[in-house]
Amino acid sequence: MTRKGRRLILIGSALTVLALAAGLILTALNDTIVFFRSPSEIAEHKVAPGARLRLGGLVEAGSVAKQGTAVRFTVTDGNAQVPVTYTGILPDLFREGQGVVAEGVVQTDGSFKADTVLAKHDERYMPREVADALKKQGHWKEGEPGGPPAPAPVRSTVQ
Amino acid sequence: MMPSSLFAAFALMTAAAVMAVLWPLARRRPLKDEKAADLAVYRDQLAELERDQAAGRLPAAQAEAARVEVSRRMLATADAAPEPAQDPVRARSRRRLAAGLALVGVPLAAIGLYVMLGTPGLPGAPLAARLAAPPDRTDVAILVRKVEDHLAANPSDGQGYEILAPVYLRLGRVDDAVRAYAQAIRYLGDSAERRASLGEALVVQADGIVTKDAVAAFQAALAQDPTSPRARYFLGLAAEQDGRKDEAAAIWTKLVQDSPPNAPWLGLVRTALGRIGAPVPPPPSAAGLSGSVLRRDAAPGTPPLAAPSLAAPSLATPPGPNAQDVEAAAQLDAAGRAQMIQGMVDRLQQRLDADPKDLDGWLRLVRARTVLGERDKAVAALAAARAAFADDASAQARLGALANELKIGPEAGN
Amino acid sequence: MIAEIGQYALILALALALVQMVVPAWGAAKGDPVLMGVAAPVALAMLIFVGGAFACLVALYVTSDFSVANVVENSHSQMPLVYKITSTWGNHEGSMLLWALVLAVFGALVALFGGNLPDRLKANVLAVQASIATAFLLFILLTSNPFLRVLSPPGEGRDLNPVLQDPGLAIHPPLLYLGYVGLSIAFAFAIAALIEGRIDAAWARWVRPWTLTAWIFLTLGIAMGSYWAYYELGWGGWWFWDPVENASLMPWLAATALLHSAVVMEKRDALKVWTILLAILAFSLSLIGTFLVRSGVLTSVHAFATDPLRGVFILAILVVFIGGSLALFALRAGELRQGGLFAPISREGALVFNNLFLTAATASVFVGTLYPLALEALTGDKITVGPPFFNLTFGGLMLPLVFAMPFGPLLAWKRGDLLGVAQRLMLAAGFAVVAAVVTAAATAAVSEERGPVLAPVAIGLAVFIIAGALTDIAERAGIGRVSARLAVRRLTGLPRSTFGTAIAHLGVGICLLGIVSESAWSLEKIAAVRIGETVTIGTRDLTLARVENRAGPNFTSRVAVFEIREGGISQGTVEAAKRQFAARQMATTESGIRTFGFSQLYVSIGEEHADGALSMRATWKPFVTLIWLGAVVMALGGLLSLADRRLRVGAPKPARMRRGALPAAAE
Repeated sequence: MTRKGRRLILIGSALTVLALAAGLILTALNDTIVFFRSPSEIAEHKVAPGARLRLGGLVEAGSVAKQGTAVRFTVTDGNAQVPVTYTGILPDLFREGQGVVAEGVVQTDGSFKADTVLAKHDERYMPREVADALKKQGHWKEGEPGGPPAPAPVRSTVQ
Repeated sequence: MMPSSLFAAFALMTAAAVMAVLWPLARRRPLKDEKAADLAVYRDQLAELERDQAAGRLPAAQAEAARVEVSRRMLATADAAPEPAQDPVRARSRRRLAAGLALVGVPLAAIGLYVMLGTPGLPGAPLAARLAAPPDRTDVAILVRKVEDHLAANPSDGQGYEILAPVYLRLGRVDDAVRAYAQAIRYLGDSAERRASLGEALVVQADGIVTKDAVAAFQAALAQDPTSPRARYFLGLAAEQDGRKDEAAAIWTKLVQDSPPNAPWLGLVRTALGRIGAPVPPPPSAAGLSGSVLRRDAAPGTPPLAAPSLAAPSLATPPGPNAQDVEAAAQLDAAGRAQMIQGMVDRLQQRLDADPKDLDGWLRLVRARTVLGERDKAVAALAAARAAFADDASAQARLGALANELKIGPEAGN
Repeated sequence: MIAEIGQYALILALALALVQMVVPAWGAAKGDPVLMGVAAPVALAMLIFVGGAFACLVALYVTSDFSVANVVENSHSQMPLVYKITSTWGNHEGSMLLWALVLAVFGALVALFGGNLPDRLKANVLAVQASIATAFLLFILLTSNPFLRVLSPPGEGRDLNPVLQDPGLAIHPPLLYLGYVGLSIAFAFAIAALIEGRIDAAWARWVRPWTLTAWIFLTLGIAMGSYWAYYELGWGGWWFWDPVENASLMPWLAATALLHSAVVMEKRDALKVWTILLAILAFSLSLIGTFLVRSGVLTSVHAFATDPLRGVFILAILVVFIGGSLALFALRAGELRQGGLFAPISREGALVFNNLFLTAATASVFVGTLYPLALEALTGDKITVGPPFFNLTFGGLMLPLVFAMPFGPLLAWKRGDLLGVAQRLMLAAGFAVVAAVVTAAATAAVSEERGPVLAPVAIGLAVFIIAGALTDIAERAGIGRVSARLAVRRLTGLPRSTFGTAIAHLGVGICLLGIVSESAWSLEKIAAVRIGETVTIGTRDLTLARVENRAGPNFTSRVAVFEIREGGISQGTVEAAKRQFAARQMATTESGIRTFGFSQLYVSIGEEHADGALSMRATWKPFVTLIWLGAVVMALGGLLSLADRRLRVGAPKPARMRRGALPAAAE
């Protein structure tokens, strides 16, 4: 085989792998990404039941009801409320009136069935390290201008 | 002002850094043959081929092909152009320039940056040393910590909480202040004074809103002392925040009328009245009426009505200073804070010197002095108290018990 | 006093870094040996000053000097001594200082052990290193200064974040940084080669030990981080595909590719341009990883703006180093001489295959990590790219790679015989098929729902890798082909790097075994139990024996003690706890883990209900420890390879002595 031929084979295989990778990435991006929605958006957009998404907001005060390991609570952003059901152990800092991110599926009755609940970690002070360490997942937006560095959610989930 | 030992250390370090550059510049150093390093690698590769072949790990044909390839690399390396010789004059001037850079540039850059960033005048403050040091009026934080440590060991010592609470409030640790006032009430018993203070802390905690809890505290204060100006002021504020302006006006108007003409809170109350558009009544000229009120409220342990001035403006559109601002202010003025805590204790001392028939006051003073680490003054205060209550057996017993507890009396047998 | 000395030491280190950046490079350009000779002593001095600054910071933490803002923010006087020390790097400023320290350590190592390098290369390498040090020291001093003071020191610190008060996280960052920063040496070598416009097989051999060292630390660091997340975060996940983890995985993938391509370069003088590019990419990914984590851009795109100076500085460093090095590469790559030829089916071909798939996998992780950030910055849409994405793309790309892994080492250089290799791997393939069948049968027997269909296949693949690695060793020793005595002699005479390769590949197989069985056959129970009640998981019964309070140095904990029984026989207890840290008013979950063989029983508790019941989650994780064991075996393989004397060529005396004993080498 000539030098040129070998080089062509090399380049050809490189392009093949590249195409394979690109194909995989694009397919996966189409199918697997999860959008972040607020309670209002769910109310406005009329998100189709069955769509997987992340719901972020505050746990409405007085809305948490527990029965064994099953929990019901309401997530609000001041405008709209979405009832959430979840079974499992809640993160250490899950509290009424505190921020929360829930990942799951919108049900036909407009409620939200979460399989993962993330709670904002520390309302007072949050060094970046914790954010690193705590395996942050959500894009938590810190509301207070000039406030402490953004907090990280702690994860709790049912597999 | 820079401590001289620090300055000496800096000088030594700078010298060492400069030497690290000058020393290699002063050495003569021939250029290593650039090719030698490459050739060493190739020789090693050949040796390895030899070994692999000898051990039977490599077929002869493959070994031969590899050997040819390595030899070709060796030849190519050997063929490379030799290094041009150095021009000694130019080399010398280059080295001189580099040396100059090290000698001038390094210290200049270092000192320049340090002047920008450093705080040479600030001594280090390892915690152990601070705790062991004699009480220092500038180190309020450590005074607070000592009281806290004392409370951790004696969690039912209400006096400690009473001392800490206003300091917490000043330091911006509002939650701690609320807790401390509550504890003080729990262990020292209820009083109008403490209830009003608790209410005030609650208001600060809620960023100036007179919450339900705060209202309850002020009402409890009024129940014990219907004249308490702080409770009345804040209840007025609560009424205003609820939209009951007439009621607020009534409460404040009454407060102004009851107050002596030079009462420190009058300005505040007048402003509040102006804000809700109520007429501001002149204070009664007869000061005798409420002199007692003034004295009671100016007692030690009471923040000099700083909190109302924090709380009140938040009603108006621009929010008032919040906890962070208080903290920032506190940061700026360490000496002031130290004076405050010390001043409170000193005021207590003065009051007791003038009017020694206040057993609770003495007990509080002795304890405060001990907690602040001022042992001699505590002993002196104890002696003064014993003298003042020389013929009161039960008072003597209480003083003795305190002395024992604090291990300061002759009973403790230092 | 200590704080000021530390700060001044750091400033002097910066001044020295500037000298080290300029003078040796100038000397290299002019061919002046004395100027080039400045590099090594200055690199050592820099280590002393950065090390001194770091020691000062540690001392400040140990003595709880609350006149230093950094100590106030991240320490507590009641913490045990070990956490006082580790909190030094448990925060942004301190960890950046640690980064700089590791950089200085590597620079000093090159200065000390680079005696076999040509003067010019060494001078340029150290100059490039110093330029990185300059950027980082400036970044630390101007935007992240750990020595900033407070005028009135508070009486107590704000405490180190409780989740960081853990031995696992104490050593995780240093390991990871040794890996990240170790790659800076490979980068410096690449840039130095580009500056000189000269690169050859010898270069690859000089770079290899540094890359290998970095790779070993990265491997261990990632494994440590994964294990920490597993036991500390309380729900038993060991890999989250979260950006912080990806940030460490990307340099690891690139470094793995670099290790393999450097072999081709060393042996065959080929793939030179590609190897240089990989060296640049590997360190660029380290930088990106460091800054993804450090800048806060991950938590929120907006967090980036909370400290504009820091953000801009970070961007500037990225642009200068990545952009600059790639520009230099584009400019100079064409001038590099091309080397040896090889057929597509050959050892070289296999290594190219490895490189293609590793880089493609790196790219998929890169896209998955940065796409959400880019999308949010551009459109404001917030999305999550989670495990499904990575499982599909990364998994899809790794499968062919691990399948090809046993073939590579068995192929000959230049032109290989794929069929012959396949024949030699028949035995390994046989083992794999048996393993797959046995697994399928066993899972079918144990439970009616069988588990995932692909799992037995994946187990087979893992066994294939392990058996393939052993085949490689056996083939080289000639086991089965030559007499037993000769085979043993050959086996002991094999170069350590050969063992290193086989063991590292073995580690991949072990790791894969753990991953597959953990994800396919984990059992989980979530329940609310009262004291005396029992939860059954797999073959084991867990009974809540008691719940009690315990006091720690700076926390109190609520501990639930479970008794474990299997078939009525007691197997001891497992304790899960919740800790409450007063200083930050924060709680952490301490999971209880009991190891049985390679499998683990994992218990964590939630809140206590009003009726006395306690939420608990119990998980049975079959062969889960193999995941980390595999990583440790990989690192061990790397270590063995590092110990190979061939890598110490040139300077070390033992090599020369041994060479003398051999028949005179051709010269």
